Amino acid sequence: MQRSVPRPAVSSIDRQEQLAYLSGLLPAVLLLMVLTLAPAIYLFVVSLTPGTPTIPGSLTDFSDPTQNYVGALQDQQFLDSVWVQIKLSVSTVIAQVLLGLGVALLLHRRSRFLQALRTVFLIPMVLPPIVAALIWKILYTPDISPLHRLLAALGAPVSSLITNADTALWAIAFADTWEWFPFTMLIILAALQVVPDEPIEAAKVDGAGPLQLFWYVILPFIRPAIVVAALFRLIDSIKAFPLIYVLTSGGPGTATQVTNYYAFTQAFNYAYWGYASAIAVMLTAGVFVLSWVIGRRQGASAYGR
Amino acid sequence: MAGEQLGPALPFELQPEPSSWRATVAAALTNAALLLALAFVLFPIVWLVQISLRPDNDALGYQLLFRPTLDHYRALFESQFLRSFLNSVISSGLSTFVALVVGTPAAYVMCRWRFRARGAIAMWILSTRMAPQIAFTIPFFLAFRQIGLLDTVWGLSIIYLTFNLALVIWMMQSFFESVPISLEEAARIDGCGMWSAFLRITLPLTAPGMAATAVLCFIFSWNDFFYALILTRTNAMTAPVAIINFMQYEGWEWGKMAAGGTLVMLPVIVFTVLVRKWLVSGMIAGSVKD
Amino acid sequence: MPSFRNVSRRHVLKGTAALGALALTGKAPARAGSKPFQGVELNVSCWSAPFPKLLQTYLPEFEELTGMKVNYDTPGFLIYNQRVDLELSTKGSSFDVLNITFIYVDRWLRAGWFAPLDSFIKDENATPKDWDTDDFLPAARKIMSGKDGSLYGIPWTCDCYMAAAGRYDLVEKAGLKMPETFDDIEKVAAATNKDGVAGFLGDNRHGWNFPPYLQGFGGNVFRNPPDDLMPALDTQEAIAAADFYSHLLRDYGPNGVLSYSYDQVTAALKQGRANYATEGHIFLMPAADPDSKSAKTVRYSMFPKGPAGQFPGFATHAWGIPVGAKNKAASWEFIKWAMSKSMMMRAVTEKGYSSPSRRSVIESPEFKKRLMLNGNDVAEIYLKTIELVGKSNYMDYRIVSVFPQVDTLIGQAMERIVSKQMSAAESMKQAQSSAIANLKRAGIRL
Repeated sequence: MQRSVPRPAVSSIDRQEQLAYLSGLLPAVLLLMVLTLAPAIYLFVVSLTPGTPTIPGSLTDFSDPTQNYVGALQDQQFLDSVWVQIKLSVSTVIAQVLLGLGVALLLHRRSRFLQALRTVFLIPMVLPPIVAALIWKILYTPDISPLHRLLAALGAPVSSLITNADTALWAIAFADTWEWFPFTMLIILAALQVVPDEPIEAAKVDGAGPLQLFWYVILPFIRPAIVVAALFRLIDSIKAFPLIYVLTSGGPGTATQVTNYYAFTQAFNYAYWGYASAIAVMLTAGVFVLSWVIGRRQGASAYGR
Repeated sequence: MAGEQLGPALPFELQPEPSSWRATVAAALTNAALLLALAFVLFPIVWLVQISLRPDNDALGYQLLFRPTLDHYRALFESQFLRSFLNSVISSGLSTFVALVVGTPAAYVMCRWRFRARGAIAMWILSTRMAPQIAFTIPFFLAFRQIGLLDTVWGLSIIYLTFNLALVIWMMQSFFESVPISLEEAARIDGCGMWSAFLRITLPLTAPGMAATAVLCFIFSWNDFFYALILTRTNAMTAPVAIINFMQYEGWEWGKMAAGGTLVMLPVIVFTVLVRKWLVSGMIAGSVKD
Repeated sequence: MPSFRNVSRRHVLKGTAALGALALTGKAPARAGSKPFQGVELNVSCWSAPFPKLLQTYLPEFEELTGMKVNYDTPGFLIYNQRVDLELSTKGSSFDVLNITFIYVDRWLRAGWFAPLDSFIKDENATPKDWDTDDFLPAARKIMSGKDGSLYGIPWTCDCYMAAAGRYDLVEKAGLKMPETFDDIEKVAAATNKDGVAGFLGDNRHGWNFPPYLQGFGGNVFRNPPDDLMPALDTQEAIAAADFYSHLLRDYGPNGVLSYSYDQVTAALKQGRANYATEGHIFLMPAADPDSKSAKTVRYSMFPKGPAGQFPGFATHAWGIPVGAKNKAASWEFIKWAMSKSMMMRAVTEKGYSSPSRRSVIESPEFKKRLMLNGNDVAEIYLKTIELVGKSNYMDYRIVSVFPQVDTLIGQAMERIVSKQMSAAESMKQAQSSAIANLKRAGIRL
């Protein structure tokens, strides 16, 4: 992170000044340590134990520190959950980028009305996720869903999407896209607004049509923004919880049981704290590796200057 | 990061649209597509709100026309829901307050002082934003059960600090950057110490930014479901968790759930309109280079 | 929120409350102003079953009687168990009275998460003699007793697995009778599965619904519970049972049957949208309620026999006091009030409660009358089933500490089969290996 920090006029910061700075910084740093570093270390420590409340002393039993990790790699449910996660993450990121891009292009016009409209498009993203989940539970429950009723009235009844193993995950992906495409839309919209005029004008002089203009001129400009938006959605898609909790509880079977949800059930339904910690450690490591890889590939010039 | 998000006062810069793009047909198509997208976004929300207004025996009714009633809302206010609503307000408010008090000076230092660990701290803040919640929840749960913070608004406020503090440090930095350093220097020539110059000059200038940051912190805490689900039971249960309590024996109480959902969603929508400009930079806290 | 309406209701209640006190203790009501628990706030929670729900309507009486304030919470079954398991594992004090869920009995009692009740029961100041603990069905009491012999929970329900045909008219029209064997179920479900009526119906708690079929086919959940906990989910019998059970749901169940909760099953029966269901009787009986469309057509029977015999499920739930509760005397005051003879009798006579746990109530003429449904003597089915449960120990699989995990695995296994993700054999094999891994994780030696 290289912010362009305004250089203080005094080039040699004296000791007193340093102390003054430290006094402002330290409380926050200490608090952050207690809040994030300490839990991270503790999580890792617990993941080395068979910790569960029904076995006394198990939280401090380090006799077989790798058992949870070895166990996870042999646990079909865990492995399946990773695959479900990949399917959900990839599909929602793609859908959200496409939809976000589409709506951003629609909204990218000079108009007071459209400016106001943008705020409306933001609503799904800021809704409490539990409310979004509730909304989609209503829309996906055949007994009360207006969509199911409409289809039935049209003579094409559709059976419940969230109890069908073939469709449950895609139903969740659809709801997730509804909830989060405003995010990609907003970032892309911001990028569209700083595309310089000159290349566009030049391309038009050369006789480029709208499609060519978009593909060869605009897209290269906004690509970094798209990558950033996609990266964020990818990382956040791993945290998707309320939708799955309310819509399917990971079912039918384990069709929508993503890794995060699996770790949740292991930790808080059955109190396998050690095992769940190991999964959480792997999940966190996965997230960091993912952002590092993508961040590196995109390089420092990923976005903006 | 480019664009309007960071600069609090940047006007919308719309680029001129070439008239050749605007064939009438294209415009009509565009408008139709926009309308469609708008319906896609709004319909589910509107449907939730209308269920909350339907009479009880008609919650799942077929008729589009009905006489709206506030019965479900009334029932909510007579139940424990009100208490959970208050819990939400308190835990979110408390966490926001502490995050601002501790985080604002730190953001100022991060902005004005180039020290060696600065990059590392920035990375650290970013990584807390990336880490899955479950990674925090397990250790916090285990620690809270030892020290008795489970099912308290205090405990909840503490865990909300895990994201709020990082958010404040990130957001406020960009606001401080927009304050010309010469103003502070002038104050210091007049004999002010560093922090008193900060308090007298810099902070008042960034008050709107601080308000926006506070609102974002509040929204993010308010929206939390996962932490509250695990760390609260009765005393500190928040409104989002209270909503799922209506998944009950006599069938789900759709009317009450919808009313509860509407109530939880309203403040967020109001706040969103207020802080729309800063929403994205808040959501990607600290991760984008500029 | 205090309001004039509430105040006036309280005044009205005072009279009833005094009567209630008389009925409760058989003694004169306590002197005014001598409410030892005045001002105590009591957090009570149970999953949303009929009894705790109807008890809720009597709460103002209890509050008036004792001066306590009760925060009463009845979330859904899964949410309740998850939340409470979490809370108990911390020995927290968020709750004063909790339901001891049947499948968690061993897990919760063995871990020492509930307080023994004997000290309250034997203390004559706390509990009058005629409150009569021995009146609760011995089978249920045995389940709620710890290894130390003390009672940890006061059972409020004895739920029996049985069968109902909501549209018996359709069954008769097809020339069939109430099923007595698994084969009969197949015939009846197939014959009545048309014209908007689903032939078969079951709720999504497969860990509860499947074992009666499993055992009917000669299988079991574990090899020999509680001594040998080796899971037995991939045996020939288990696969055959899974095949049969999932076939009923898949081919004769209503749209979206996999997500049907017990209340939706009840609703579907009442609306006549489904015909034959095997379920706990508390969820089947409302089909005969006056507001039910199938009140005139419903027929009940014992759960049918499988090739290997008849194994209707049985469940009991009980009020207990978590060890972390701050004011256990106040907690007991609530349990004592909720589970008194008079309260359970009133639940039957005033609210039509169908699953009492006190022998005196079960044998009362009022209850017999309550269980005469559309010409069916459900009381007889009920008692016969309880007798069957008492004769052998086939329900032992359910009170093993690791059953909740296996319960979920069974549920997932059935959903995989019904939703055609896997064959019965594949799915049960996976359930078996997951169960073994789970048991190991829980520190159980196989």
